Amino acid sequence: MDKILEVKNLKISFRTQGGTVKAVRDISFDLERGKTLAIVGESGSGKSVTSKAVLGILAGNSITEGGEIIYDGRDLLKIDEEEMCTIRGNRISMIFQDPLSSLNPIVKIGQQITEAMLLKNRGNRKSARKAFNSTLALLKNNMIEAIGADKKSEIDAMCQTFDKFNIEGIKLENSYNNSVSEAEGLVSEIEDLIFMTSKKQKVDVKARLGEIYAGVKMVKDPFMLRGFAEKFSTAANEVKAKAALYTPAKKNEPAKELPLELVTALESLKAVTNEMLAATKPNFFRIGYYKLKNPSFDLTSKSVEELNAMTLDYLNEDFMFKFIDMEKKGIKNSFDKALEKKKALMPKLYEAAEFYKKGEFDKTSADKVATETASLVEASIDRLELNKDSVAYTFRTTLLTAIEKYFVAIKKNPQEEARFERQTKKRDALIARGKHVEWKVVPKSIYDLDELKKEIANVADRMISRYEAYIAAAESVDFENRGIEMIDYFKAKASEVVYKITKRMAKEKAINLMEEVGIPDPRIRYYQYPFEFSGGMRQRIVIAIALAADPDILICDEPTTALDVTIQAQILELINNLKRERNLSVIFITHDLGVVANMADDIAVMYAGKIVEYGSADDVFYDPRHPYTWALLASMPDLDTKEKLDAIPGTPPNMIYPPVGDAFADRNKYAMQIDFEQQPPKFKISDTHWAATWLLHPDAPKVEPPRIVTDRIERMTKKAGGEN
Amino acid sequence: MSNVNNKEVLLRVEDLCQYFKSGSYENKAVDKVSFDIKKGEVFGLVGESGCGKTTTGRSIIKIYDITSGSIYFKNQRICAGTRSYRDAIKALKAEEKKAETTAERKAEIQNEIRKNYEEIKKAKFDHLNSDKEYAKTLMQEVIDEYKPKLEAAANDSEKLAALKKEYKDKLRVAKNTKLVTKIQMIFQDPIASLNPRMTVREIISEGLVINGIKDQKYIDEKVYEILEMVGLVREHAGRYPHEFSGGQRQRIGIARAVIMNPELLIADEPISALDVSIQAQVINLLNELRDKLGLTIMFIAHDLSVVKYFSDRIGVMYFGKLVELADSDELFAHPLHPYTRSLLSAIPLPDPKSEKKRTRITYNSLAAHDYSVDKPSLREISPGHFVYCNDAEEQKYKKEVE
Repeated sequence: MDKILEVKNLKISFRTQGGTVKAVRDISFDLERGKTLAIVGESGSGKSVTSKAVLGILAGNSITEGGEIIYDGRDLLKIDEEEMCTIRGNRISMIFQDPLSSLNPIVKIGQQITEAMLLKNRGNRKSARKAFNSTLALLKNNMIEAIGADKKSEIDAMCQTFDKFNIEGIKLENSYNNSVSEAEGLVSEIEDLIFMTSKKQKVDVKARLGEIYAGVKMVKDPFMLRGFAEKFSTAANEVKAKAALYTPAKKNEPAKELPLELVTALESLKAVTNEMLAATKPNFFRIGYYKLKNPSFDLTSKSVEELNAMTLDYLNEDFMFKFIDMEKKGIKNSFDKALEKKKALMPKLYEAAEFYKKGEFDKTSADKVATETASLVEASIDRLELNKDSVAYTFRTTLLTAIEKYFVAIKKNPQEEARFERQTKKRDALIARGKHVEWKVVPKSIYDLDELKKEIANVADRMISRYEAYIAAAESVDFENRGIEMIDYFKAKASEVVYKITKRMAKEKAINLMEEVGIPDPRIRYYQYPFEFSGGMRQRIVIAIALAADPDILICDEPTTALDVTIQAQILELINNLKRERNLSVIFITHDLGVVANMADDIAVMYAGKIVEYGSADDVFYDPRHPYTWALLASMPDLDTKEKLDAIPGTPPNMIYPPVGDAFADRNKYAMQIDFEQQPPKFKISDTHWAATWLLHPDAPKVEPPRIVTDRIERMTKKAGGEN
Repeated sequence: MSNVNNKEVLLRVEDLCQYFKSGSYENKAVDKVSFDIKKGEVFGLVGESGCGKTTTGRSIIKIYDITSGSIYFKNQRICAGTRSYRDAIKALKAEEKKAETTAERKAEIQNEIRKNYEEIKKAKFDHLNSDKEYAKTLMQEVIDEYKPKLEAAANDSEKLAALKKEYKDKLRVAKNTKLVTKIQMIFQDPIASLNPRMTVREIISEGLVINGIKDQKYIDEKVYEILEMVGLVREHAGRYPHEFSGGQRQRIGIARAVIMNPELLIADEPISALDVSIQAQVINLLNELRDKLGLTIMFIAHDLSVVKYFSDRIGVMYFGKLVELADSDELFAHPLHPYTRSLLSAIPLPDPKSEKKRTRITYNSLAAHDYSVDKPSLREISPGHFVYCNDAEEQKYKKEVE
């Protein structure tokens, strides 16, 4: 599967006055594209900290002790703030828990929603242009290399044409799309006005008609209006003429019913607009080329089908076949070059792995080998490959960090031993003197040196296995396909370059978003301040802001905890729809398992900074294995629950002194002796499901989950069986 | 949960209206809401945010002066609004001015206007003096109890002095007793509702102190007793609220409410701000207290599965109106009002398979009803099951029930 985000061995702690709080202790998970991962746990279990680490907005007193968060071939824990800025809010967006503190109290809501859109749009255009240019330049160089320097001028010209007509086409398309969205807005505006007045609601009819006139003016794309221009303008004029018949109602009184003539005029305007919307969309990529070559030709004179066919032939004959051919050569050239380098690199890699496995190195020599191999690895990356290989891209930082950690551990371990001994002695002495000692000695935290050393070698091994697989698959690479992918990539980047959001567009988009998240009267609400909204409404605004920037990954940190059921259901549906439409990946953080059932593909149950159970939604709900998951399920009532709820006794442990064994042991009625002494490993239940509890050990006694949970599962399976 | 055989009505709300003014516009937060709460039951009030359920609770406990309607607690009118009478007077006066009104009718109108003015007077008096009236009856009881005792001990000067002191104390307590303190409220946000500068002892005992109890020993004993009742320990009395976790803070809030020996507890979303595991602890605690103290609870929440689990009867509110009222099982089995249906269809359940099939019903009050001619009101469709509807809908619902 296509992993969009990988979190590996993440460890985060916080310096506080009382000591270091270990908030996240070694967690790993993958997020796949278009899937939802739910992280479930009590407050203080480290779920919010994990998500904040992904966004790089941890508090100042946090220490990232180790691990990697890999997104788009980059380790988010190691990139600098400037680079992070291009990702945060843009590619990865977050809905925060507390709507009060995440809105600016002195800026109007509308401005806050559009702010991100306008800012990110400017940034996006710049960065897309940069990516477009650099990739095209790289491709050009490779093409020249593959075909020969004598054809340089021709290739240069072709690339330039490609750049130009691509942008030209997208510009036309954008203007068309704008008109389409305006027309859609117009239709809904008309429907709304007719509905509201027929129900005698309070509406400012005059202002609404004004909005409709403005909408009519904005539908101006020549391709959109082709064949309809006259009809459309007469319908609009008819509405304007008939609007005079309407006598406005008094202030604070419901609107009077619209005169019949005005309703018919509005209906006919709606019908014309709908017709325009139903027409076939021209292919602007082709038209862009045609227009570039024949700027004086009147494109609107032909029908869409004719135009599409004509421009397709023209483009293919004149340019595209040749370009694709050359492009393929260029890509192959780059691939072959990289492959050569990879093959040459392999012995070096084996050497390095051998060197680390032997383990006879000091810091300088280890670093030296690491930097040398890393430079070679970086040189061997095929930069024209669109799916970035995270192992290769992060090889340098991963290896250097592993080495650094090992040598720090060598230095730290004796210090830790000494401290432990000193404190134990002091405590023993006090006890021997007959004093009452309240404090305990903090247990030793000794790094496992062998484990760390192995990790260094593992990094190299991972690189080797990745490249071995790569070289083995080299024969079967489909360059045809990659060429098309490349062109799609250019198209996408070009559309980002051209996609300019004006303030009016941003406002329309914001109002649509506000409507989508369920804010009534968005046109009035747009100009209000945050304090004029209730808590639920504020949360919806925050969600609208997060969605405004069209992210790849959406992190939802308890987005619906403060909302009531209907709105909660709406918001969850909204997130689900967006996920489906935009192929969005979602990390959904919550403490309410009920909410998760509908949303999640995978669920990670977190407790005290560790994932205690991980599995698909079906696994966790129908076959829970960890006592903590049982407790969570047992403590929430559903509609059929009658018996007393099983509350989890006590509170989560103090994470300044994390428990030695299973962190949940203190509150767990199924706890065994070993739970207090040793941390349970992950026991695999199925391919998608594992849990960290000693109960799954073959020697453990068989334990049944609490009645309330088994009953519910029985009921659910019965229900599902009955329905099928 | 527990069977409510007792049909004694503890709280009666009649046509409660609570309007808030914002500029020239009047926000009808609660509009003509009527319901009864019977002794010993848990009455759940659900609805989306901004529908007026919290306002209803706050109006009952007299945090707001209500606009119109009356609230009776233990058959004593504790809140009364005057708006409905004023509106009636206005309409009558307008009618009087009309040319076609006969002299006979005019006299009648005069009479009615006078009656309405009297009602306003009564309402104002009840609204201000309900506590005093209640205190008077209590004081009378104390006087009746001690008069014979004092007379009997007239010869024994030592005993007389002790009795007199006791009598004075009791009289003072009776005088300071307020009927409204028999209604207590637990607030939504356990962090914001506790004064950070007071110790737990001060927070919990504040109500007692205000009510004129000065015996420090008695207060301490009482605080310890209550603390243990809500699952905290004596040592917690000296600490400050910030030293507690969310669940413990909510327990302090509950202790503060319970120490006044309330008969009605208004729980305004007491668990919304808590973790799931803690939610279960608090619900179990409320259940225990209810059994132990015989409390009547008005439970305001938006989490329907919890309300279903906890309540005997449920009222559903929508934009200031009570749209449906029924026993909780009945409501979930046969929801009649379209808004209730949409609400029930939105409940998330811990069951992925059925969740993926669940379709939410949307509710649009404008499209669902036609109230242009036929005006709606709250009507009883089947015994104990009330729905806000008009004549046509009433027929339809009755058919559905059959």
